[in-house]
Amino acid sequence: MNKILVANRGEIAVRIIRACREMGIATVAVYSECDRTALHVRLADEACAIGPNAPRESYLNIERILTAARTTGADAVHPGYGFLAENEEFAKAVIDQGLTFIGPTPDAIALMGSKTAARLAARRAGVPLVPGTETPLGKDVSDAEIEKAANAVGYPLLVKAVSGGGGKGMRTVVEREDLLGAVRRARSEAGAAFGDSSVYFERRISRPRHVEIQLLGDHHGTVLPFVERECSIQRRHQKVVEESPSLAVTPQIRHAMMSAAAAVARAVGYTNAGTIEFLLDEDGRFYFLEMNTRLQVEHPVTEMVTGIDLVRWQIRIARGERLDLDPERLATPVGHAIECRIYAEDPDNAFLPSPGKIVQLRVPSGPGIRDDSGASAGREVPIFYDPLVSKLIAWAEDRPAAIARMRRALSEYVIAGIKTTIPFFAWLLTQPEFVGGEFHTSYLDEVLSDRNGRSFVEVEEAAETVAAMAVALRAVLSPEATAADTDGTSAEGDRRWRALARAEGVR
Amino acid sequence: MTVGGERWRGPRAYADVRYEVDVNGRVLHVDVHRVNGSFVVTVDGHEWTIDAARVDAHTLSLLVGSSSQEVTIAPDTVPGQLAVGIRGVPLSATLNGRRRWSRGDDGGASGGPQRLTAPMPGKIVRVLAKVGTAVQPRQPLVVVEAMKMENELRAIRNGIVSEVLVQEGQSVDAGTLLLVVAPE
Repeated sequence: MNKILVANRGEIAVRIIRACREMGIATVAVYSECDRTALHVRLADEACAIGPNAPRESYLNIERILTAARTTGADAVHPGYGFLAENEEFAKAVIDQGLTFIGPTPDAIALMGSKTAARLAARRAGVPLVPGTETPLGKDVSDAEIEKAANAVGYPLLVKAVSGGGGKGMRTVVEREDLLGAVRRARSEAGAAFGDSSVYFERRISRPRHVEIQLLGDHHGTVLPFVERECSIQRRHQKVVEESPSLAVTPQIRHAMMSAAAAVARAVGYTNAGTIEFLLDEDGRFYFLEMNTRLQVEHPVTEMVTGIDLVRWQIRIARGERLDLDPERLATPVGHAIECRIYAEDPDNAFLPSPGKIVQLRVPSGPGIRDDSGASAGREVPIFYDPLVSKLIAWAEDRPAAIARMRRALSEYVIAGIKTTIPFFAWLLTQPEFVGGEFHTSYLDEVLSDRNGRSFVEVEEAAETVAAMAVALRAVLSPEATAADTDGTSAEGDRRWRALARAEGVR
Repeated sequence: MTVGGERWRGPRAYADVRYEVDVNGRVLHVDVHRVNGSFVVTVDGHEWTIDAARVDAHTLSLLVGSSSQEVTIAPDTVPGQLAVGIRGVPLSATLNGRRRWSRGDDGGASGGPQRLTAPMPGKIVRVLAKVGTAVQPRQPLVVVEAMKMENELRAIRNGIVSEVLVQEGQSVDAGTLLLVVAPE
């Protein structure tokens, strides 16, 4: 393997290019029109334009990506996460062209991509499941049959899209009479997002945690599970903070969960990197939720507590090497790691997207801090893609120290020109529930609903005085800069974006 | 040029100017004077000596007394507004019209007693006058510490201290009445 095409953009493309550079492997970046000057393009050895900004015409366009691979003579493709990462057609097309796909086999992607097939695989491996329907409820299933299936599962229940992900096509039903309406809404959302309106039901576990197990599997039959990641801090089913290890996981639970995850992966002959998600209830029982057949956004927290470079191992496994890591090491976290997903969203304005030009960027550093980002000063956060600006990861010898370190890093982070979720994280990391580790998957949504839009920022009067002084002094010292910043033209793009975001109902 | 009745000594390299700055909806009057390489800045009648250095187009380093404050200023998402960042805390500001500091302007003070209030929550570090003390314009009366800055609160004109309502070491809220100067 001499040259890898990275079929992605943003921070994950940068992350993969970095691993390749360290391994002496050449890289090919692909980019849409607005990403011509993006960091991943500048860091790669070669770069190919693959079309217009709309994802469907560039980062989701299999033909153009394969043409870029042919033109540049790449011999492998890394899909990152999102876009085509869990598309078995893409994996198959890459392989059919004689290239290596750095990820699981197309069959494994297809199998585990179906939620009901994945549940069946977990059941066969003897792993407990949340009670639920065993077969998909397609669009032709009658209302009577839907009600019968729901009664068998029991209320409260979740309606979930069979091909879903990221909380799309998901509804909670507490009362029987809300069932059919919830199914209709979930179907229409799932149909629009995934082209498949099939749904299934799952019993809703009370106040569960979301805990997941990272795995690596090689092509010689070895599957190794890692220490868990705690991902219960979610907003509308989207993870916003992840950490490892979990305060709720005892050594016994960890051992059982790792064994269960490895059993599921072995049962389907899984290769490369993947993650098995579990719900952990208040009594320490866990249930298989689903498998993600890709590298996860939150993989760095695992890397920080185990010292293993997961992307490097993805590449080594793909070129046929044996997974010869010490299983004990993977099960034994050193210290504690926390990740905050910093988004271009305005937390004080219902987390509305806030793209625009980053005019100033200072990234925190120092002991235990890692910033995985694709952003750079002078560049726009484009309106076409996920508004993730950076993943800020703090590692320290224990959890309180990691929290303190993260707070320190957040206070150093300067991203000017757009609004970000940094003030929200600064607030969250002081909350007693977070500090005490007393939370579950609905915790954040409940607190946010209680706050009812109250600002996360508490400004002291002294800070207002300093701000007034600074604005006045800058007007004296840099009158041109002040004039440029207040003439209103730079905000033009943001207004355009916000209008578009509302029109499309983004988030 | 006079400020609060005292002869102004500073060089005129920069025009002495007054700004109205709206910070998070609160309007603050800021007077900026260049003096011997530093700035004397008055915010709503309270005065600080500041060393201000431009780091880049969007970053200022201020030494307010010895308190180090890094401030980033960039266009806000609302046109015409400024997004200000201070140690991770975002604020929104608008710079309103400026006007030259005019001769004979006494900083807004007119007849009647000067009721000195705390401009921000903080701790009383020193009380520099007693009941009956005759004070001159710009004479320091009380020092309040807030956000690691010592702020000297001064007399705005001639008078006699008629009431002292705080003691050294006491914590005060913003707006607490500290001391009253009766006109002569």
